[in-house]
Amino acid sequence: MTPGEFRLRVAYRKTGRLRHLSHLEVVHALERMVRRARLPFAITQGFSPHLKAAFGPALPVGTAGEREYFDVWLTKYTAATEVLRVLVASAPAHLVPFEARYVADSVPSLTAALTIGSYEVEIDGKGLDASSVQAALKAVLTTGEFSIVHKGKTKFFDLARSVPKDARVTDRDGGVVVELTVRMGPQGSLRPEALIRHSLEAASITASAVRTTRLETLVEGDEGVWSRPV
Amino acid sequence: MTGASLWARVEPLLSRIERPARYLNSEWGSVHTQEAEYRAVFLYPDTYEIGQANQALGILYQQANAIDGVAAERAYLPWIDLIALMREEDVPLFSLESCLPVSQFDLFGITVPYELSYTSILEALDLAGIPLRAVNRSEEDPLVVGGGPCVYNPEPFAAFFDAILIGEGEEALGDIIAAHRQAKDESLDRASVLERLSQIPGVYVPSLYHESVNGDGLTSVLTPIGSTPAVVTKRVVASLSAYAAPTCPVVPFMDVVHDRYAVEVLRGCTRGCRFCQAGMVYRPVRERSADEIVGDVLDGLACTGYDEASLTSLSTADHSQIEEILRRLTRRLAGTGISVSLPSLRVDAFSVELARLVSAGKKSGLTFAPEAGTQRLRDVINKNVTEKDLIDTVRFAFEAGWRRLKLYFMIGLPTETDEDIRAIGQVVERVLVAAREVTPPAQRGAIRVGVSVSTFVPKVQTPFQWEPQITLEEVRRRQSVLRESMPRKGVDLHWHDADVSFLEGVMARGGREVADVVETAWRGGARFEAWTEQFRLSTWLAAFESCGVDPTLIANRDRDIEEPLPWDHLSAGVSRRYLQRERERAFSESTTPDCSFSGCTGCDVCGDLDVDIVLTGGERR
Ligand code: SF4
Repeated sequence: MTPGEFRLRVAYRKTGRLRHLSHLEVVHALERMVRRARLPFAITQGFSPHLKAAFGPALPVGTAGEREYFDVWLTKYTAATEVLRVLVASAPAHLVPFEARYVADSVPSLTAALTIGSYEVEIDGKGLDASSVQAALKAVLTTGEFSIVHKGKTKFFDLARSVPKDARVTDRDGGVVVELTVRMGPQGSLRPEALIRHSLEAASITASAVRTTRLETLVEGDEGVWSRPV
Repeated sequence: MTGASLWARVEPLLSRIERPARYLNSEWGSVHTQEAEYRAVFLYPDTYEIGQANQALGILYQQANAIDGVAAERAYLPWIDLIALMREEDVPLFSLESCLPVSQFDLFGITVPYELSYTSILEALDLAGIPLRAVNRSEEDPLVVGGGPCVYNPEPFAAFFDAILIGEGEEALGDIIAAHRQAKDESLDRASVLERLSQIPGVYVPSLYHESVNGDGLTSVLTPIGSTPAVVTKRVVASLSAYAAPTCPVVPFMDVVHDRYAVEVLRGCTRGCRFCQAGMVYRPVRERSADEIVGDVLDGLACTGYDEASLTSLSTADHSQIEEILRRLTRRLAGTGISVSLPSLRVDAFSVELARLVSAGKKSGLTFAPEAGTQRLRDVINKNVTEKDLIDTVRFAFEAGWRRLKLYFMIGLPTETDEDIRAIGQVVERVLVAAREVTPPAQRGAIRVGVSVSTFVPKVQTPFQWEPQITLEEVRRRQSVLRESMPRKGVDLHWHDADVSFLEGVMARGGREVADVVETAWRGGARFEAWTEQFRLSTWLAAFESCGVDPTLIANRDRDIEEPLPWDHLSAGVSRRYLQRERERAFSESTTPDCSFSGCTGCDVCGDLDVDIVLTGGERR
């Protein structure tokens, strides 16, 4: 730990129309929010000094987040509730922090620690129902493997490992909601939306819209226990 | 105004296109007004990332929103992918803030930022469902008002606008809105509204001018109908201090051009370069004071959260208090990771000193514009820079640690010979030699000189407004002369596209007959032409052909000094007498000093417009 620096972990939401922002756009927006809040933030050393902050696993363009995290280092201890108050006042609508806590510098980084993502995927379409979507998904999950082509490269996912928990499928407001948990990693994470779109296609189910929200990201402990990073 | 937000129809399209962040709004600093008696929307006729940082629109957005009962919103031209989907799904052009159809606003303001944006303006009007031509608009259509850098030769696009503001908008925008609201209260019809607007100083209403073509068919002139003023003179504000700079502008989510907090430190430039339209039409020089600038930068950074501030103007190093401003800012911003940038530098050691002051160890690159290769030609264009100035400045910069340099030159300037062109290569060679001499041997490999060469395009309201632009074939020939004379090692050579310069030249001086060509080219698929991959000269050549307009007679013809001109009914305040005198001085290779350093040289703008030079530090150095 750099002496005299305090590491603050902030949870925020990326919702509404801002689900269409890219990860980089979210990062810039959050950095500017911290600057506007006039927090005593630390500056990195080196060739081009900038605000010292670290961000959780990227959310793709189009995916909302209900509990995302970033760390920011402060040079002066300020009560977390006060920090939260000024951050909220400086936040753009739909990109709003709701929790702030200090964490020890020994705590692993967000990207290293957060390996579990729990998602909710809303599917709209005529005549959709939970049981057919459930069956379509199950058909793909039981094959045990899933691949996607991204930028000309094929990526394989071992579904037993990538989907560590049974999906829950329910009817809601004329559509269907799938709750799906996936394992994330540095070699690339399975995108729930891709898996679901593929399953629907394979079962000849047409969806008019698919909206994905990451409900939260979690740390996987020693005994496979999942917990929040704060 | 009635109508419902189009958002529910726009959002589903966003997952099918590139860069949805262009369309999201709700950025920090955006203004959302639910109830308003009068609604204005301002369009930049290009994508969000190109137009967002436009400072003039930022000022107008703030000003209009500050008027009681008025709501102002922004609009940009969606990129081609979204336009295609919108046309498929029948979604019209929308404003960002309320996502309402642009056609439902009272005022549709469009900035005309460059000559190649005219077809994009037509794309926007069409996408909005507004008739392209002002004459075809009905009482329900918004008032379409133009403004911006291209208005000094408006005829190629005038037919598409109800009114065009010539000059600065700070005061005029309020006048236009007030007149329009008043006219609405009185339930005046469209024609009467336009007549009212034409009485506001600086407002040009194209439909109230009649076009007549000279016997030779070469020139068209415009004469007023009825009580309309014969000449519309630009609006200008006497002092920038009377208008608060926007210190809480919109902070975009996406990466945009000029993504930093920008403060206008001064307006106008009187160095008097004879090719430069900006230098003629934005006169006189008016500075903001050091206190205002430092205060605005600090407030603006605090409100936006940007980590970079830019001090913008046509020539920032000329500000009479620039050193004080930079010293105060670097002191106040020390340890915050915030940097200050200077967009324009003079060719002198003082400028390099300023750049060093703000560089904080980072030496990314310097840019200088000698414009021509020989002293003779630099005297013709009144670029008061000697080769010694340039070499000394380069030495100074490389001694100070810079390793990268960019130089701007032009070809096709009046009186240019092949000798002048070859001299550009020789100047670059001497720059390289000077740079190497003062750079430690181990670091010499890092030296890079970028040379950017554009083709001179004669512009209206400049001393060269009568000159022919060199032909396309001649551009290509001169480019090859230059290429042969340019040193290879350590130089990156860039050209401005010759076809683009040719079309710019036609738009820069064309008359009302060119409007048909613009519309035909747009119907032929022309739009987004500032994007190199979207520009096709062939579309335009076909359009000229089918409209029976010879573009070479507009761009490449030598005009008689007595010839009536299609822009004679507009004035930027600089007198024709002065322009003619400057032209004569150009051909006799005599220079004219900068009036902000050494006394009035008689361009007449101050007397004609009842304004004065404003130097907040008393005098310039
Ligand atoms: S009138 Fe004189 S002082 Fe004013 S801008 Fe022109 S040359 Fe300069």
